[in-house]
Amino acid sequence: MTLCTLRRLLSFVKEKKTIRLPDEDRLSRMDFHSYVPGKGLGETVGILTKHYRLAVNGEQGAVLERGKLSRYGVFIIHTSIIVILAGSFTGLLFGYRGFVTLKVGETKDRLTLRGKTAAEIPLGFALTCKDFRVNFYPTGEPKDYVSTVEIIENGKVVLGKEIRVNDPLSYKGIRFYQSNYGSAPVFFFNVGGEKIILTEREVFRKNDLLMMVARFEGKVHDFGPGVLVAYLDNGEPKAAWFLKSVDRLREQKLQGVKVSLVDIQEQPYTGLEVSRDPGVFIVWAGFALMLLGLYVNFFLQHRRIYLLRVSEGLLVAGMASRNREDFKKEFEKLTEEINGRTS
Amino acid sequence: MAVHHKILGVATLLYLLVFFIHVLYFSLKKERVLAVAWMIIYATICVHTLGIVLRWIESYRMGVGHVPLANFYESLIFFAWSVTFILVVMRKKISYPVITMCASLASLFLMGYASISPSVEKNIQPLIPALQSNWLHVHVVTCFIAYAAFVISFICGSLYFVEWKGVIPPKAVLEDINYRSVIVGFYMLSAGILTGAVWAHYAWGSYWSWDPKETWSLITWIIYALFLHARMVRGWREKRIALISIIGFISVVFTYFGVNFILSGLHSYAT
Repeated sequence: MTLCTLRRLLSFVKEKKTIRLPDEDRLSRMDFHSYVPGKGLGETVGILTKHYRLAVNGEQGAVLERGKLSRYGVFIIHTSIIVILAGSFTGLLFGYRGFVTLKVGETKDRLTLRGKTAAEIPLGFALTCKDFRVNFYPTGEPKDYVSTVEIIENGKVVLGKEIRVNDPLSYKGIRFYQSNYGSAPVFFFNVGGEKIILTEREVFRKNDLLMMVARFEGKVHDFGPGVLVAYLDNGEPKAAWFLKSVDRLREQKLQGVKVSLVDIQEQPYTGLEVSRDPGVFIVWAGFALMLLGLYVNFFLQHRRIYLLRVSEGLLVAGMASRNREDFKKEFEKLTEEINGRTS
Repeated sequence: MAVHHKILGVATLLYLLVFFIHVLYFSLKKERVLAVAWMIIYATICVHTLGIVLRWIESYRMGVGHVPLANFYESLIFFAWSVTFILVVMRKKISYPVITMCASLASLFLMGYASISPSVEKNIQPLIPALQSNWLHVHVVTCFIAYAAFVISFICGSLYFVEWKGVIPPKAVLEDINYRSVIVGFYMLSAGILTGAVWAHYAWGSYWSWDPKETWSLITWIIYALFLHARMVRGWREKRIALISIIGFISVVFTYFGVNFILSGLHSYAT
C-alpha cells in the first residue's frame, strides 16, 4: 500500500508539468467534443468560468477544469490509513492501559497495568474518590454510575470532577473512565488500643508487629465470617484465624500485642479504567483525512474542458474521470449555453 | 398497545401493499401502476417516519427520553426506514421497478421480523449509561444508511444472475447502481466505524477493542474495499463484481444479526 501511494505521488509530480492544450486532431477524437462556429475564445471562457476554474489560458485556446482534487482522493485515503496505523503504533509504544479501584474515601497514586505482568506504575499525581453512587430509573434499571473524584498534586486539590460512563476525566494526558463498581469487605481491627481499618492484602506495621489480612471468608465452617491474618512471629511467617462471631477467636495476642477483630463491613468501590494514549490525536487526524479522501474520491469528479481556436470558430472538448453519463449531460448543456449566447 | 406500534404496523402493511402493486405492474405493465407505487412509497416513508417520531415522543412522556435507536427492535425499524430513505433519495438513479420491489420486500421483512419475533423486545427501554452519548445518533444513523445502501447493492448483485426479459434491468444498469450504492455504503460504513471508534474512546477508554461487532464491521469494510479495488485497479466487471457485492452483503448480515446472536461483546445491548 505504501508503495502504491508513493508511486501515485511520483506520478502527480510528473503530471504537474504536463497540462497543455492538445492539438485539434486529438481533441476531435475525444468522446465529448463539439464545434461552435463564430465564437470568441475570451467570451466562452467567461461563460465557463462560472462552473470551471481556468487552468491554462493561451492565445490559441484554454483549458478549464473542476474537481481536480478528486485525482488525489486515492492518495489521501491511503495516506490516512498510514496515519491511523502510525497513531495506533504511537499509542502502543508510548501509552498504556490499566485500571485503578478506589474505595470511597481512598486515595491512590498508582495504577495497575493491564497485561500479563500486572505491574503497578505511578500516576504522577494522586486520585481520591470522594463519592460513588448509582442512580436508577423509576423502572429500576441503572441510569447513571457516578464517581466523584479529586486530583491531588503536591498535597493540593487541583481538580474535581464527576466521572460518568461516556464522560471521562482527563488530566495530563491520562484518562479515567467509569468502568465498573462493586463492594469489597473492609476489616475494622483494634490493635493494642489503636483502631485501624484494613482491606484484604493490606499490610499493617506497628513496632514489632507486621500483619496482613491474607484471606476473607464469608463463612468459616459454621462459625460465621472470619479472616485469616498473616503475621511475622520473630521473623517467621505465621497465620491465625479471627472469627467475628466467636468470642474466643475474636481477640488474640500477636507478638505480644492484643489484636481484636471489631467489625467486617462491605464498602463500595469504583473501578476506573485508566489509559494514556499519546497517539489518539494522530488517529483522529487520520480519521478526518480518510473521510475527506473518501468524499473527494467518490463524490467529486475531475472534469476538464478544452477550448481551441479553429478555422470554423471554436472547438470545445471535454473529459471526465468518472460518471461519464452525467458529464455527457453537463457537456451538452454547456455547449448549448455557449451556443445560446451567439444566437 | 401504544400508538407508535400501531403506526409502525400500518407502515408494515404499506410495505406489503407496495410489493403487491409491483406484482400488479409486472402483470399489467402499465406505467400508471408504477406511478401509484411511488406515491405509496412516499406515503409509506411518511407513515414510517411518523411512527419513529411518535415513539421518540412517547419515550419522553415516559421520562426515559431518548432517540429510538437504542435496542434491536428500534434498529430493525430504523434499518427498514433507511432502505426506503435510500430509495427515495436515489430515486433518479435506481428507479427500476424490480429494485424498488425487492427493496420494499427487504423493508417488509425487517418490519415484520421486528414486530412478529417474540425474542425482540418491543417496548421502550430506558437508555443504559453506556449509550448515553450524542455519538449514538451519528454512529447508528451512518451505520444503518450504510447497511441500507448495501441492501441495494446486494439486490443488484443478485439480480445480475437472474435472466428474466422485461423485468430485470439491463446488466450495465445493475452494475452502475451496484457501484453507486457501494460507494455510498462504503462512505457511510467508514463514517460509522470511525464515529464508533471516537465514541468508544470516550465510553470504553479505547478507540478499538476488537469487539466482535468492530471486527466484523472491519471485515465488511475490507470486502467492500476489495470490491472498489477490484473494480478500479483490476478493472473487474460483471459477474465477479456482482459476486463480491453478494459476499459483502453476507458479511453485513453477519455483522448485524450474526454478531448479536452468536458472539457476545461490548455491543450486546443491541440484541
